[in-house]
Amino acid sequence: MATWTWPLSVRANRTVEQHCEDFLDQASAAMAQPERRKTMDMLGLLMPLMRGQAVADFGDFEGLRQHVRAIRQHTLDNLDHYLPKFEQEALSNGNRVHFARSGEELNSIVLGICQQHKARRVTKGKSMVTEETALNDYLLKAGLAVVETDLGEYIIQQAGETPSHIVAPAIHKPVAEIRQLFLDKHALGERELETAADMVTESRQVLREHFLASEVGIIGANALVAENGYSLLVTNEGNGDLCATLPPVLIVCTTMERIVPRTRDALALVRLLARSAVGQSISCYTSFYSGPRRADEQDGPLETHIVLLDNHRSEILASDYREMLQCIRCGACLNHCPVYVAAGGHAYGAVYPGPVGSVLTPLLSSLEEAQLLPNACTSCGRCEEVCPAAIPLPQLLRDLRHEEFRTGLTAGRWRLGLRLHAWVAGHPRLYRYATGLGIRLLHRLGRKKGGFRHLPLAGGWTSQRDLPAPQGGTFSQLYARRQRDRDDD
Amino acid sequence: MTERSSGAGRKALRSRPQVALFVTCLADLMRPSVAFAALALLEKSGCEVFVPDQQTCCGQPGYNSGDYESAIPLAKQLIAQFEPAQYVVAPSGSCAGMIVHHYPRLLDGEWRERAIELASKTFELTSFLAEIAPLQADPIPPERTPDITYHDSCAGLRELGIQRQPRELLRRICQKDVIEMQQSDVCCGFGGTFCARMPEISGKMASDKLANAMATGAKVLSGGDLGCLLNLAGRARRQGIDLEVRHVAEILNGDLDLAAIGESE
Amino acid sequence: MTDEARREILTRVRGSCRGAGAVRIGEELNALGRSPVAQLPDPDLAVSFLYHVFRNRGSAALARDRSEAVRVIGRYLYERFRSHKLVAGNDSRLAALPWRDGGVLPRFGIAQDGDQAALSYASAAAAECGSVFLVTGKGNPASNNLLPEDHLVLVDAGDLRPDLDQALELAQSGPAGQARPRGINIISGPSSTGDIALQLVQGAHGPRRWHVVLVGDLAADTLVRARQLAGFTQSEE
Repeated sequence: MATWTWPLSVRANRTVEQHCEDFLDQASAAMAQPERRKTMDMLGLLMPLMRGQAVADFGDFEGLRQHVRAIRQHTLDNLDHYLPKFEQEALSNGNRVHFARSGEELNSIVLGICQQHKARRVTKGKSMVTEETALNDYLLKAGLAVVETDLGEYIIQQAGETPSHIVAPAIHKPVAEIRQLFLDKHALGERELETAADMVTESRQVLREHFLASEVGIIGANALVAENGYSLLVTNEGNGDLCATLPPVLIVCTTMERIVPRTRDALALVRLLARSAVGQSISCYTSFYSGPRRADEQDGPLETHIVLLDNHRSEILASDYREMLQCIRCGACLNHCPVYVAAGGHAYGAVYPGPVGSVLTPLLSSLEEAQLLPNACTSCGRCEEVCPAAIPLPQLLRDLRHEEFRTGLTAGRWRLGLRLHAWVAGHPRLYRYATGLGIRLLHRLGRKKGGFRHLPLAGGWTSQRDLPAPQGGTFSQLYARRQRDRDDD
Repeated sequence: MTERSSGAGRKALRSRPQVALFVTCLADLMRPSVAFAALALLEKSGCEVFVPDQQTCCGQPGYNSGDYESAIPLAKQLIAQFEPAQYVVAPSGSCAGMIVHHYPRLLDGEWRERAIELASKTFELTSFLAEIAPLQADPIPPERTPDITYHDSCAGLRELGIQRQPRELLRRICQKDVIEMQQSDVCCGFGGTFCARMPEISGKMASDKLANAMATGAKVLSGGDLGCLLNLAGRARRQGIDLEVRHVAEILNGDLDLAAIGESE
Repeated sequence: MTDEARREILTRVRGSCRGAGAVRIGEELNALGRSPVAQLPDPDLAVSFLYHVFRNRGSAALARDRSEAVRVIGRYLYERFRSHKLVAGNDSRLAALPWRDGGVLPRFGIAQDGDQAALSYASAAAAECGSVFLVTGKGNPASNNLLPEDHLVLVDAGDLRPDLDQALELAQSGPAGQARPRGINIISGPSSTGDIALQLVQGAHGPRRWHVVLVGDLAADTLVRARQLAGFTQSEE
């Protein structure tokens, strides 16, 4: 029997790293690349149109959204009931259930299972939870060969990058970059790689071998059903189903806030998910798994594990940010966030970018480290408007900015400026006097040209735009004068 | 008889909506013509307008930047100044939204009650003129009305549902439809202090908005929030884009001869 | 480690919850009512179902009865592959089809890498989004849904349900079903991906084509109406 040689790239660790402290520089770098910018702008234009159509076609989408919100809130309020219930049902289906407090614990549980089976080859379905724990790096260091099988994840794994979008991990990559990547990494000889379809065919061929040869499959879960211990996985590619069907060992890596009470609640969530994520009415593959293969079956894993990760979620449950646990990871808030579309996912320097990430990252790491992210928001409210879980993201981001202000994380000059403004505005007479003087001066300096290219203390504003000159005189001055003139008449 | 007539007189007076105009700090400082236009439109539409003279700022800059503590006294100050009014109207969706949505959240106890009471009678200008005191103003002669495209400012759109109202009013006054741009409901990149904290991203967003506006072929870009309009006018000037930026109140009031925002006199 | 972790996590969760009893929780859950479902594009269930099949980039054919279904499948295989090879699970309903009528002789069992086509018999189907329900097991190994180039699915028109919930209920009560089958695969199109610059490509990992054969006494214009509703012209089938 021929031995399958694993391409070197599968063993490679991540080579590109970003940090959330460098949000502005990373955003700037992304905006400087015209091809990437074009792809992101297309995402920002197309996805809202597609979602909008799917939502309109559904009918009572708002009713659906509120229904699922109520179910999920109920589940979180009674997680002390539903979590043990899920565990009990999953066990009785023949699964082994593990609890992990931290990413490290999850990683070591997974590695332990692999080692117990002397596994060397692992295929993975897309799982944001294992991105959170950096499982790939951990397994690779331990000498295992790990292959991501979602095409987007596969592409960025080959490139040594991290996902830039939670649903479309390689969305930042223009076609030409992917073509070059495949030419560099795949040794398939002469072949066509002109179109996206060619590249899909090629990765299909490469990954099919991996599926057939791997000893462990790792997937995530979109929902966990408490009443029967099922886990639900949704994909368009079918890679998750292959991971859950072909390798002899299956490990589901997930978190406790995925739990819903009943199968029908999982189906309600499915109704929201694909419409919000990509404007489809449903994904191609929506699969419920109960546990290991049964006696009369010819395929399916012989052993199945479910690893439930906490990683700060029980703290979030106890906090004012509890609503974040209702997120279904659809990515709609990313697609609709103009800041995300401009900055790109890598700018956030964290596993979860965009509005959801700007709330989650500080909660999963620290506000100190991630302090810029809650400020990457214009409070435009579009994320909340489209969030299928109706999470008040702009308000949560504002509350995080409040925490920053309270704990002294906000930069000194901003604190001073805001406090000074508020103090003056709290003294109307002083305010009138000071603004009256200032505006008169600005008007005199700027009226000829209509605006300013530079202005002391307004460098943030004038770096990108002129400051239009004020019309001359404040309204309160002009109005008072007008009233006086009228009284004199 | 005197009693009866004075009673009727008072009643007649009462039936005119009593509006307290919240000028908003940006209109006060940067573009008084917006507030004068708002005042004129309200008066033409039969309102009795008064302008509380101690008003300053609604507290949004601090609030949105996370400084809730300094926004609270400003909120209380504004509530005390405006609560005697029958209606409060502001030529800005974000300032009206601050009062309507955020004051009740920011304040506690008795002040929250007062905030909720004020919220119930506070309106953005175009929604007030579309729904409460129907706009009575003369149409502008067609030869004077430019082609207009409209930017939906985020707070007005999503906190107050303002989208149809300014378009309806513009159609009545200009006798033609607004030319819709692509993604009119996407943020222009202003976002209060955001535009100065993350200028490059903000600049890109403003450029996208201007490109969408230019693609309509309209001569005027209008909107209902001065913050957005100052941002867009400033960016247009910087990039040499030939677009007149005007507040919707000014257009409705026929103030088309005024220098547009950021234009030299 | 995991026992200690379990204890700690459960304790923390308990600290943030209200400790209500199962009965009360159940009552509260029931009080939340049922999920709204998608409105159907057409009053006819079959038209609505096929509308979604087309929108999901599937293809479809009608057959009046099982004999015609076999002939339709035979023609499909010949047109696609110039062959009559087919894999089908050990499903008694599949075994009972009059295969000779279509000149097709399936290999019963599990699909392997390299198989061109597999046939599944749906336990139920939902008009709400054009989905077929397949129950994992001897009658339909999941490999059959995933490994071949083309995946064909027979659907009895009588097994069509308006929404996902009703279809699931049927799938769990049908001949292949049981209260808690090992897996339920709800399939709604060919394997596809948009991961390269948002361009939709079929056949990412699983079948490149997904072909539904709807069996039953249906109006002759069912297919045409569904296709028109979905915005596809005749030639694009």
